[in-house]
Amino acid sequence: MRAQLELHDVSVSYGQRRALEDVSLTVGAGEIVALLGANGSGKSTTLRTISGLVRPSRGRIAYEGRDITTWQPDGIVAAGVGHVPEGREIFSEFTVLENLLVGGHTAPAREIPARLQRALAMFPVLRERQRQPAGTLSGGEQQMLAIARALMAAPRVLLLDEPSLGLAPRLAREIFRMIERINAAGVTVLLVEQNARRALAVAARGYVLETGRIVMTGASSALAADPRVRAAYLGG
Amino acid sequence: MVISGLATGSIYALMALALVIVYNATRALNFAQGEMLMVSAFLAWTAQRAFGLPFWASIVVAIGGAALLGFIVERVIVRRSPTATHWDVLIITLGLSLVLRALAGMVWSHDEFPFPSLFSNRPVVVGPVRLAPVSLGIIGASLSLMLALYVLFTRTRLGRAMRAVAQNPRAARLMGVSVERMSSISWVLAAMVGAVAGVLVAPVVFLSTKMGLIVISGFTAAVLGGFGSMPGAVAGGMLLGVIENLAPLYLPSAIRYAVPFLLLIGILTVRPAGLLGRATTRKV
Ligand SMILES: Nc1ncnc2c1ncn2[C@@H]1O[C@H](COP(=O)(O)OP(=O)(O)OP(=O)(O)O)[C@@H](O)[C@H]1O
Ligand SMILES: [Mg+2]
Repeated sequence: MRAQLELHDVSVSYGQRRALEDVSLTVGAGEIVALLGANGSGKSTTLRTISGLVRPSRGRIAYEGRDITTWQPDGIVAAGVGHVPEGREIFSEFTVLENLLVGGHTAPAREIPARLQRALAMFPVLRERQRQPAGTLSGGEQQMLAIARALMAAPRVLLLDEPSLGLAPRLAREIFRMIERINAAGVTVLLVEQNARRALAVAARGYVLETGRIVMTGASSALAADPRVRAAYLGG
Repeated sequence: MVISGLATGSIYALMALALVIVYNATRALNFAQGEMLMVSAFLAWTAQRAFGLPFWASIVVAIGGAALLGFIVERVIVRRSPTATHWDVLIITLGLSLVLRALAGMVWSHDEFPFPSLFSNRPVVVGPVRLAPVSLGIIGASLSLMLALYVLFTRTRLGRAMRAVAQNPRAARLMGVSVERMSSISWVLAAMVGAVAGVLVAPVVFLSTKMGLIVISGFTAAVLGGFGSMPGAVAGGMLLGVIENLAPLYLPSAIRYAVPFLLLIGILTVRPAGLLGRATTRKV
């Protein structure tokens, strides 16, 4: 499989505090890869580093064969890396429609109407609430909006940071079905999750982070069967 | 009285808008906004006097000069100090305002100069009221500019991106918005809005290096409207202009120049979120 996104020995610090230490991982074109780990293990930092929000002190990030380590976030988004951040971070004062339009900031103007229709077709609740301020949406709807907003840029790789966090089980299931559909449409997915069981169910492979280091990697089935993973993330 | 209050108010509103545009993009207060306005007005005057340009061309010079000044200030001062707090930027722009005023004094002297107006002096008579064309012209020009800004901020990709940065810069970055570019554009745009305000107000107050003090009224207007809100800035400006014009009717006339301060203190103690501001803007 062709590697679409690669991290080579990436280290990141926040001031004196080391958050990632020599992290290497590969995401192949068309894959869903899960990134698991306890609170504070560095999952979000990994995604922020890929998006250029945080600069690594060491190491290299390659996307579709290009070294993007020093690129600015806007260039990385324009190149096709979408990021649905932890906590959704929708623009709560904007309407649903405005959120989607900002999501299409890097898109050519003539493609906006078609992308908008595609996003609204995929998330019918958003169509009903187009004119509503996004801050009035429920948690599940806000998560759908955050995903739809990222899709407006037509990403080839989508970074998802705990998309099911705080959602009722039924909504969480729906979000995971969405992720599979997005992936089936050809988008590569790097999925950060607390819900390891569900994440491993949709992902082909996974990595496990512990205090900023990758401590384990393998096929989802192997990880799900590993006694250490089971004890730490799957509730025994 | 009310009409001339609204005319003054439109100028304050433009000033307040300029401050809010920069504040929303960078969370910084540009204390030099008034001096930038003053310099733009002097540029227009010089273009007319020294180079004999027609009035409209001098306005283009003023707006272009302001845009360049805004660009340079953002690049040289704001961008270079990314680790500076908003407090530091405030002090820097305060210093810049003093420098600009001193430089303008060296170039143009600290005298007052009459500034030609686009609008004639003959009053327009509508029924029993006599309206000063200057006031109407100022109101008309300001409203047109506000309408243009409204369209820019609500209907265009650029305007939406600027508002997205104001709400959540990090999320805006993840949408592919360059926060740095938006900061630059905001400074340029604010300087241009200030230049228009300068050219409109100069015929009324005379051209002088003291003109920059108008920033205080602009600031008051912005606070009145709930700092950060653009419709609020317009409403605050209009309100301030009318109050300032009516106050001498009921109070000692010397009070007029203290009105902005009194209002500012009043609003900050009674309703810090401003008239149109949200009640809870401060996140804990
Ligand atoms: N902006 C920041 N400044 C300083 N330290 C930070 C910052 N963001 C994260 N950290 C620290 O870096 C480490 C990794 O944080 P990160 O948010 O990447 O973890 P995470 O795996 O996403 O955790 P969670 O499951 O809670 O989201 C933690 O120790 C955290 O306290
Ligand atoms: Mg996290």
